[in-house]
Amino acid sequence: MNNGRSGRSAARLLGTVVLAAGLVVSTVACAGGGGEDTGDGGGATGDPTAGGELTVLLDAAFAGGWATGLDPATSNTTGANLAQNSAIFGGLFTLEPDGDGGKIVENQAESFSWSDDAKTLTVTLRDGITFSDGTPLNAEAVLWNWIRAFDSGSTGAPRLQLDLSKPAPELSPEFMDSLWAALPADVDKALVEQHLGAIRIVDDLSVSISLANVDGSLVNGFPTSSLNLIASPSAYAELGEGAFSLAPVGAGPFIVESDKMSERLELTKNPDYFKPDLPYLDALTFQSVAGDQVAYQTLLAGQGDVIEGLSSVPLITEAEGNPDVEVHLGAPTSPYVIQLNTRKPPFDDIRAREAIYYATDFKAINTGLFKGEGELSQSFTASGGLFFNPEVDGYRTYDPEKAKQIVEELGGLTVNLGTTDIVTARSVTTALQTQWQEAGIDVTINAEPLGDVITRFIAGDWESLLQTAGAWDPSVGIGVSVRFGSTSPFSGAPLPEGAGSAQDALTQGLTTELDDLLRAAVATTDDDERRAAYDEIAKYISDEAYAPFGMAFSPAQVMRAGVHGPGLDIPIPALSVNQGVLYDRVWVESGNE
Amino acid sequence: MTTEAATTSIRTEERASLLGRVSGSVLVRLIVRRVLIAIPLLLAISILVFAMLEAIPGDPARNQAGMDATEEEVEAVRKQMGLDRPPVERYLTWLVGFVTGDLGRSSVSGQSVVSLLSERTWVTVELVVLAFVVSLALAIPVALMAARKPGGFFDRVVMVISMTLLAVPNYVMALLLVLVFAVILRVLPAIGYVPIEDGLAANLRSVTLPVLALAVPLACFYARFLRGDLVEQINSADYVETARAKGVGPWKVLWRHAFRNSSFGLLTLVGLNIGGLVGGTVIIEQIFSMPGLGVLMLQGVMSRDTAVVQICVFIFAAVAVLANLVVDVMYAVLDPRIRYGNR
Repeated sequence: MNNGRSGRSAARLLGTVVLAAGLVVSTVACAGGGGEDTGDGGGATGDPTAGGELTVLLDAAFAGGWATGLDPATSNTTGANLAQNSAIFGGLFTLEPDGDGGKIVENQAESFSWSDDAKTLTVTLRDGITFSDGTPLNAEAVLWNWIRAFDSGSTGAPRLQLDLSKPAPELSPEFMDSLWAALPADVDKALVEQHLGAIRIVDDLSVSISLANVDGSLVNGFPTSSLNLIASPSAYAELGEGAFSLAPVGAGPFIVESDKMSERLELTKNPDYFKPDLPYLDALTFQSVAGDQVAYQTLLAGQGDVIEGLSSVPLITEAEGNPDVEVHLGAPTSPYVIQLNTRKPPFDDIRAREAIYYATDFKAINTGLFKGEGELSQSFTASGGLFFNPEVDGYRTYDPEKAKQIVEELGGLTVNLGTTDIVTARSVTTALQTQWQEAGIDVTINAEPLGDVITRFIAGDWESLLQTAGAWDPSVGIGVSVRFGSTSPFSGAPLPEGAGSAQDALTQGLTTELDDLLRAAVATTDDDERRAAYDEIAKYISDEAYAPFGMAFSPAQVMRAGVHGPGLDIPIPALSVNQGVLYDRVWVESGNE
Repeated sequence: MTTEAATTSIRTEERASLLGRVSGSVLVRLIVRRVLIAIPLLLAISILVFAMLEAIPGDPARNQAGMDATEEEVEAVRKQMGLDRPPVERYLTWLVGFVTGDLGRSSVSGQSVVSLLSERTWVTVELVVLAFVVSLALAIPVALMAARKPGGFFDRVVMVISMTLLAVPNYVMALLLVLVFAVILRVLPAIGYVPIEDGLAANLRSVTLPVLALAVPLACFYARFLRGDLVEQINSADYVETARAKGVGPWKVLWRHAFRNSSFGLLTLVGLNIGGLVGGTVIIEQIFSMPGLGVLMLQGVMSRDTAVVQICVFIFAAVAVLANLVVDVMYAVLDPRIRYGNR
């Protein structure tokens, strides 16, 4: 899902160099800007008006990169390209603003229901929706898309354990021909047949998907999943693989006019959009730009109207003081976390982990580096996320004397602190190094590109790593299981007793207590039960001192005055990294088109 | 026509004809020799680039697949990128493909490398050529005027400004130019590229800032160098003294005599700068969101798209080699001693 992050560090590095120079520039440009505080999520004034065009600037290293195309089944960057997908496909479900948080709402889907055993989800579509090529968005189209999502070989394929025990039903030869033609030539046909047994057409407007286990986060995960994006099978047949990947046909609010991969995507209003009087905008363009500084200057130059996901704190501060632009911070969902590798020294000793907890003062880092804009968390999510637990009972807070005492007791503590080579992360690790050294901990920092960090994770060749954890739903994306499940390659939590490796644990079916808690948290569709499970997980991680959590910080939406819409001036929690903007309801005030 | 004039004319024609034959054959030999040297050089560069891509730490397939990809998915990506085959085999496949005109497909987007290049090469070529033209067009008159009165007001101002601008990296220059011309004055676009088919004026507007970002530091460098060389020629060269003694005016001495000699040094610099300038387009194209080879190469490096990176670096290296060949030829054309020396 976060494959768009690949290579992000390299471009970030370039962005950082540019930023360093550009800060001076932008400060000069906006000197004297008195600045109203528009970061309150106040929303629009007046009624939405139709018309106008909008250019949205996206970071080339993340949301603005779609090198593997926009076909949801074959794109490796579906999770990063939320903006483009929202505009072209709309989605079966959307994450809508709900007070300070968000809620999942049916969009092209009319309703959903669970079977009694909560293992089968049935999604019913709204009647009468058509793709922009005029063909119907019906159950058959959903089945065609879902099978492709699972079997096209994309790294963004859904991570679901389907119930593969049911035989595939009889489907029309036309449908099967269309499906096989849209799958890779070397596809595992037997597996496709099994998937056809798990995903079934119930009636013309209903499709069911059967899971091997209960997954209470399935629907919450839709907005970042390729399962949410339904494309026209007829258009695929007509255009062919390559052209369809460049200009897919959906039933969303906009139609692809032109697509220069990872550079510029021009869209026009879909006149047959299923929601009356929407979208408001006549045209929408996504322009890829080289990082925050370039995006900000492009906005100031009038060549862009919105920057999605500005993450540079100095630029956000600068923009907040500029009366010509509006800044809206999203509801944070993913806090920083210092993962400690409990599988090897020194952190196989809980006292060493406790020393790190006591020596860490994220409050000071938040004030110093984030100008207090971050939100401190003691667990794997933040106020924008589901099941947020602001204070975990017994959480070890900053106490340098206690840290010193433990370090002395241990006879000294030497730690290697790794991080992804991103400027903000490096600043945080430097601050941590200073704090830890004050407690007598000897610290070496190791900043590496994301690919190398992943390699270290997989090899288990790390002691402590500064990362981020969490998502709107803690089990979706880089959620709590990824960071703390014993068999996850990105976890430093202990292996189950009797297991020599994660693979060994999987083979033998061994689990830890934390694994069982994590499973319990998704083994129900009842939100109260899930909340209770996540509270228990937060407490368990805290008690075992597996990883101190820090501030959660959401990238900002920055736009010129007069642009409104959900996900822009009305905050929506970040699904994984950026907020998902609902472009069908984005509008521009009259006179600002 | 007098007898003396007719004799002079015949001698001149004979000399021109002789020079043409000699210089022609010498130039052809020079070009052939340089091309023959370039082939193993470019081959070595392609091996070096391939080895460097191999040596970059980390697993490109994992990097491409993403953090939450399963091992099976990573292996599928590895296969798709061709990384499951031994490096030597992959390199040889690429080389054979290159020689036969099959540059393969991008392992990331699946697009044909030829189509990727055809869309982008012109953007970079336009940027580089215009940057050179603008930098020389700025540097030569400024250097001549500064050298006319060394230590004078104009000379001092120009030297201070050029030193200041030289100290500014081109990406900072880019941001400063955007600030002034796009953000404050709003007369030029901050980003984007308009193809020449959509109108010459719009095309030139879109490339003005990137070209200036590349050309201004270069112009400062050339101006300082040329001015210094011109002053040295004027102060110490015998032929300048001779020209002055014949009553040739100061501007004519500068332009006709000193500049011609100084142009050799400038030519050398231009040749050496080609590589740096082409490399500079990587950052400038990125900052100005221009769909050129530089951006393509950067994207290729980030995703370890070997087919794309190999050909981009190869083109950049070939341009540098070609530029140096042109400089050598220009030397031979401008300086008879080189022609006869080669002979």
